[in-house]
Amino acid sequence: MTYLTVENATKIYSEKVRALDGVSIAVERDEFFTLLGPSGCGKTTLLRSIAGFSDLTEGRIALAGARLDPIPSHKRDIGMVFQDYAVFPHLTVGENVAFGLKARRVPAPETAARVAEALATVRLVDYKARLPAALSGGQQQRIGLARAMVIRPKLLLMDEPLSNLDAKLRVDLRDEIRDIQKTVGIAAIYVTHDQEEALAISDRICVMNAGRVEQIGTPQEIYANPQTIFVATFVGTMNTLPREAAPHLGMTEPAASVHTWAIRPEHIRLARAEADAGRVRIEGTVEKYTYLGREAHILVETAAAKLVAQIADPAPGLSFSAGSPVALAFRREDVLAFDRQGARVPAGAA
Amino acid sequence: MRPGFWTIVGILAWAILIGLLVVPLGSVLLSSLQDASGNVTFANYVRFIETPRFRTAFVNTLIVGFGGLVGSLVLGGIMAFCMARIEIRGSRLVSLFAILALVSPPFIGAYSWIVLFGSGGLVRQTLMSWGIFIPPIFGLWGILIVFSFKFYPYVYLLTSGALGNINRSLEEAAESLGMTPFRRVMAISFPLVLPALSAGGLLALIHSIADFGTPRLIGRGFSVLATEAYTLYSAEVGSNLSMATTISIVLIFLSMLFVFGQRYMSRRNVYHGNLINKPVKRKLTGFPNVVAHVAVYFIALAGAMPAIIAAIYSIRRTSGPVFHPGFGLDSYRRILYNLAGAVQNSLLFSFAVVALVVTVGTLIGCLVARRQTVNSALLDSTLMVPYVMPGIVVGIAFVAAFNAPPVALTGTALIIILSIFIRRLPYSVRSSASALRQVSPSMEEAAISLGYSPVQAFMKVTVPLILPGIIAGGMLSFVTAINELSSSLVLYVGGTATMPVRIYIAINDGDYGTAAALSTVLLVLSGTAIYAAFRLMGRDERALL
Repeated sequence: MTYLTVENATKIYSEKVRALDGVSIAVERDEFFTLLGPSGCGKTTLLRSIAGFSDLTEGRIALAGARLDPIPSHKRDIGMVFQDYAVFPHLTVGENVAFGLKARRVPAPETAARVAEALATVRLVDYKARLPAALSGGQQQRIGLARAMVIRPKLLLMDEPLSNLDAKLRVDLRDEIRDIQKTVGIAAIYVTHDQEEALAISDRICVMNAGRVEQIGTPQEIYANPQTIFVATFVGTMNTLPREAAPHLGMTEPAASVHTWAIRPEHIRLARAEADAGRVRIEGTVEKYTYLGREAHILVETAAAKLVAQIADPAPGLSFSAGSPVALAFRREDVLAFDRQGARVPAGAA
Repeated sequence: MRPGFWTIVGILAWAILIGLLVVPLGSVLLSSLQDASGNVTFANYVRFIETPRFRTAFVNTLIVGFGGLVGSLVLGGIMAFCMARIEIRGSRLVSLFAILALVSPPFIGAYSWIVLFGSGGLVRQTLMSWGIFIPPIFGLWGILIVFSFKFYPYVYLLTSGALGNINRSLEEAAESLGMTPFRRVMAISFPLVLPALSAGGLLALIHSIADFGTPRLIGRGFSVLATEAYTLYSAEVGSNLSMATTISIVLIFLSMLFVFGQRYMSRRNVYHGNLINKPVKRKLTGFPNVVAHVAVYFIALAGAMPAIIAAIYSIRRTSGPVFHPGFGLDSYRRILYNLAGAVQNSLLFSFAVVALVVTVGTLIGCLVARRQTVNSALLDSTLMVPYVMPGIVVGIAFVAAFNAPPVALTGTALIIILSIFIRRLPYSVRSSASALRQVSPSMEEAAISLGYSPVQAFMKVTVPLILPGIIAGGMLSFVTAINELSSSLVLYVGGTATMPVRIYIAINDGDYGTAAALSTVLLVLSGTAIYAAFRLMGRDERALL
């Protein structure tokens, strides 16, 4: 029995605009579940429907076996963390965290204890009496997290909580959120458009596009085994080639349905004569070499298409001048095939 | 989520707008389209076009309107540039003077200019005794001088705000591209402040067109539409309501035309800059520095002069209309004995208006800011109408609508309160809507997700956050309410006369001491309210507009 189920969620704003189009998801207790997609894909609408801030046109939501739709949002017992923190500026940090306990008429001594515990969890004990305006964005979001967790909600919703923070802080806080969620053992739904964040933090990811679910799976499944061309290109980077490139990819008999080929840059490497047994070789000329520190990208013009290959841990002395010839190699099984509608299909015989 | 409550607010808003705006305006329109026996006719409009007196008043209205506009733009533009870009000593004092000019009722301005530059004016007599002849200030030039020095703060406050918000990098970029300072100003700074300039100019224009007290007192036969409408309405013999309403319609039409004209002009000119690099004020030295200071202090002092003159004259010794040498509190004593009723009325009406306008304005403001529906957008634009209606027109419209049963209100205090209320409502709605837009909706949602019902969330989170803004808005409503003259002048009867009405009557009777003392009381009350408002929301002169 799954903990949270959303069936056939549909939200229609007008004839043409379908924010959600028959979305179904099932989330387990203790699971960290991420909704990933570009802006406007419906992930926030879905989250807000679960919170009760927006009504579905069609579909049903159930939490722990009970239907959620008829319950007004303030009685749902769902904690929420907001993109803009939504920390109450007129209340101190401590009062912010205690806010939800007051609504529940928790006795004062218990409130004090729970607030202290929550502040300790997010490492803000020393800031209890301060007003939030004096705190950094990261600290404000930790207030938001403590405030949502202290009511011991049935479910924790997070709407792009890290998108307003700078890169370093984002990584730190994302690990912190993950640790807290696992310690408490709460089901969490996390919305983000950052694929790296989604891969790092989630038990399972639901990739959404244009109001529909593209694929649901573990980070490994989403990245290594994408079921649609959208997932393949949105999560990580991908070289895509037209069907006609088949001979260059070692595909002598492509399946009839294949429309697009795709291969990740890290699966392409510079050809080395001694270790290329069983690999497909493709020749071309260097167009651009980009050094990024822990890796480098080399853009190569080949007979099939322009391909980006990734070189791991590039030697500082390594360099390619534009126009110089280069040979690339990859394994045939790393080439993915998609049909005209964008669905994954078998590649066909070699 | 709270359909019940907000639907009721929506219905209430429309009821108010229909009752206090559509019905009076409809009555005005109907009345203007009727002849003496009640038949529908365009005769009044034909007569308006054919009568030289009305044609002159129409042209004069345009002249004072655009004259006031140009004067305000020049004075306000100079002030804005100097104050925003040059270090001026005592700049806080200067902006205090600008506020004084803004809140002192225009007819006090007219009166003070007469005291100094009228036929027997102090300055004029002194100059004459030195052998320098200047004509008395009466007539068109007098009106234009008063308007320019009275309405320049609109342009100054809006434009200096815009000038202070131009990202300095833009001007530095222009400089690095090789533009001379003058071309830089014309090509970069000017277009960026144009929306603020035109918005300030529009306010000056509309107020110049609507103003009734100044042309009445200082015009000496120079009639404009507002004074014509009042004369036609109030003439003891042959009062002509349908002609007065015809002129009212023309006035509303003019004002609306200018509002839409300005909106059309600045429709593309909305710039959102980032303020990473705020402009700095330059420190001038030598002659340019002297010129800048003289210009700024001349404009500021001339603008605040009426208020200062009123305060000084209020403590001069008088007996009736005659001033005697020396100082005394005779004028205040006279207010206490004879005019306490007017002070009481003014306070009572103003507090009633504030209470009404704060409650209703906040509710409608929430509706406009938070429920983006066709209804609330329509509500917002309908609220533009009372914003541009001249006071004299509101007065005449209320008489036309509420003179006879089923709603006979003329002669009551209520009609005065309601007339001020409807004129102030747009400001109140806008200010509470903008206060509300500062509060992220997720703030309320956070409270809801923590277990508070929507109404509780609104009361516990949103209200405390917007309360300072609302109270400050109430204080500013108090200032406009207590200074309101033109609609009250049409609507008052003996028992409901307010301070501005009494000041107007006193000036007309030549009782300058009483007028000065009453004006000073008004200024002190207004000043207190503004001080309180600034304490609450931080000093922001632009909130006064």
